[in-house]
Amino acid sequence: MAPLQYLSPDWAFEAQKRLREQLTPEIMKYVTSSMVTVYSHCPDGKDRALFYKIVDGVFQEVSVSVGDIPNAEFIITGDYDTFAKISRAELGSRSALMSGKLKLKGNMVKALSLASIVDRLNKVLSEITCEY
Amino acid sequence: MSNDPFYIDHPVRVRAIQQEMAKDGIDVYIGSRLRTLSFVSDVFCPWRSYVVIPPEGLPTVYTFVIDAARVADETWLDEEHVLGFAPMGGQDQITLVAEKAAESLKGGKGRVGVEAGMSNYLPEGNLTYYEYEAFRAALPDAELVNALDIVDRVSMIKDQGTINRFREASRLVDIGQQAVMDALRAGYKGMTETEIGGLAAYAMRKAGSEWEWSFTGGNEIASGYRTGLAGGACTPASRRALQPGEPLMVDLHAMYRLCLGDHTHNYLLGPATDRQRWHAQNFVDLVALCLKTYKAGVSPSSLADEMMIFCEERGFAEYMVPGFEHGIGMLGDEWRIGRNDGPFPYWTNPDHVYQPNEMVICAIQYACPEEKIGFRYENPILILPDGCEAMSKFPLAIEEI
Repeated sequence: MAPLQYLSPDWAFEAQKRLREQLTPEIMKYVTSSMVTVYSHCPDGKDRALFYKIVDGVFQEVSVSVGDIPNAEFIITGDYDTFAKISRAELGSRSALMSGKLKLKGNMVKALSLASIVDRLNKVLSEITCEY
Repeated sequence: MSNDPFYIDHPVRVRAIQQEMAKDGIDVYIGSRLRTLSFVSDVFCPWRSYVVIPPEGLPTVYTFVIDAARVADETWLDEEHVLGFAPMGGQDQITLVAEKAAESLKGGKGRVGVEAGMSNYLPEGNLTYYEYEAFRAALPDAELVNALDIVDRVSMIKDQGTINRFREASRLVDIGQQAVMDALRAGYKGMTETEIGGLAAYAMRKAGSEWEWSFTGGNEIASGYRTGLAGGACTPASRRALQPGEPLMVDLHAMYRLCLGDHTHNYLLGPATDRQRWHAQNFVDLVALCLKTYKAGVSPSSLADEMMIFCEERGFAEYMVPGFEHGIGMLGDEWRIGRNDGPFPYWTNPDHVYQPNEMVICAIQYACPEEKIGFRYENPILILPDGCEAMSKFPLAIEEI
């Protein structure tokens, strides 16, 4: 498979496909939630938002938008480079948060209970071959 | 209306604070004192916590994330109004609290009430210098104002649910006192102060007490010379063994739904001397007089004057600490009486005039270091128009064992 452009519509389609295939509702603990990761300073100078909508453990939507940030239960903000490192498994999301490279908005207690699920999600995404 | 005798109408409490905020021109209140957390959230917050009170609507509690789920489980607030903080981007306490406070500030401008000052009580919870500066930096267009008087004045007169909780906490303390008395009568040889503290704790917890809440070491037990330390009103239990011929001071603390039991009973471990009995009789008579004197309209200074005249007449004034009270309220409110309106900032105003339904600990300390003897009396009392209700019903006496 040819490398996909990171955060392109094709990448988002592939991400949703893999997340649905690999992270079953059981693995996802039948969770219902939504999350946006906001990428500042993308290579083209724009900001992008990657939106995940999960209902009963099923990824119903994975989409990328430019400019407007969709509303979600959790909003994680950071530099494109930071997210790119996480997606390449060069940096753990937890350590990015603990060092302040990423900022989380949302209920911390709920976030803690979802942390392992996000780790699984990041692992799946890191396996997509892509260009940054 | 709840049938629970211990019910407290917290939304009414919050609205009372919000009304006072409006009067004082406070747009949003950041509470950080333990007493404020207890009063507003009705849950034990042992870790650094804050409560952000907007001008209308529900407050939001922020606490260390490791305890946030429990706090959310036990408070009357819903889980959307109890949030945890952690050392993570966007989740540290300054960011979260400042962001919430900013929601009540138009264009970031306005007056933010904070809790600053000082206290003799270590876990008081006033803002630290660092926190103050950090909130100031996070809210650059707002004015931070010390507003702790708002909660102090709203919490001074106790509602029925609070009073009933205090009664229950005192009932639990009396169970502890009875357990100690039974154990002493069964034979105290080899027992230590810590053991006395522990067996009382067991009896009180068995009966439902949540903990021996006092930061002074839980149950304060002193024997022998330790009872007579000059001016000594703080005696964390030591490993000292009880000895015949010595006094014993048993100061127990129980907690029921954040309301506090605090009662001290004293003993002479036989054989007692006539001189020890003289000291004991002085003390018992003074306590009885003090309890008879407490009522609405008296002040700490007027009461002290009256008591010290009695002590002088009986010839034991030099053994007295000339203060007969300490403050009490829901957990964290354990030091100053009334408001911060006295001549020495953040100390009790000696001319504070008691009002009906205020609560105070009737606290009396007698110490004769040279004779290695002393006694303490503490009992939560409810101020009434013509007297007071002593919450602990354990009979006033100094038993000889």
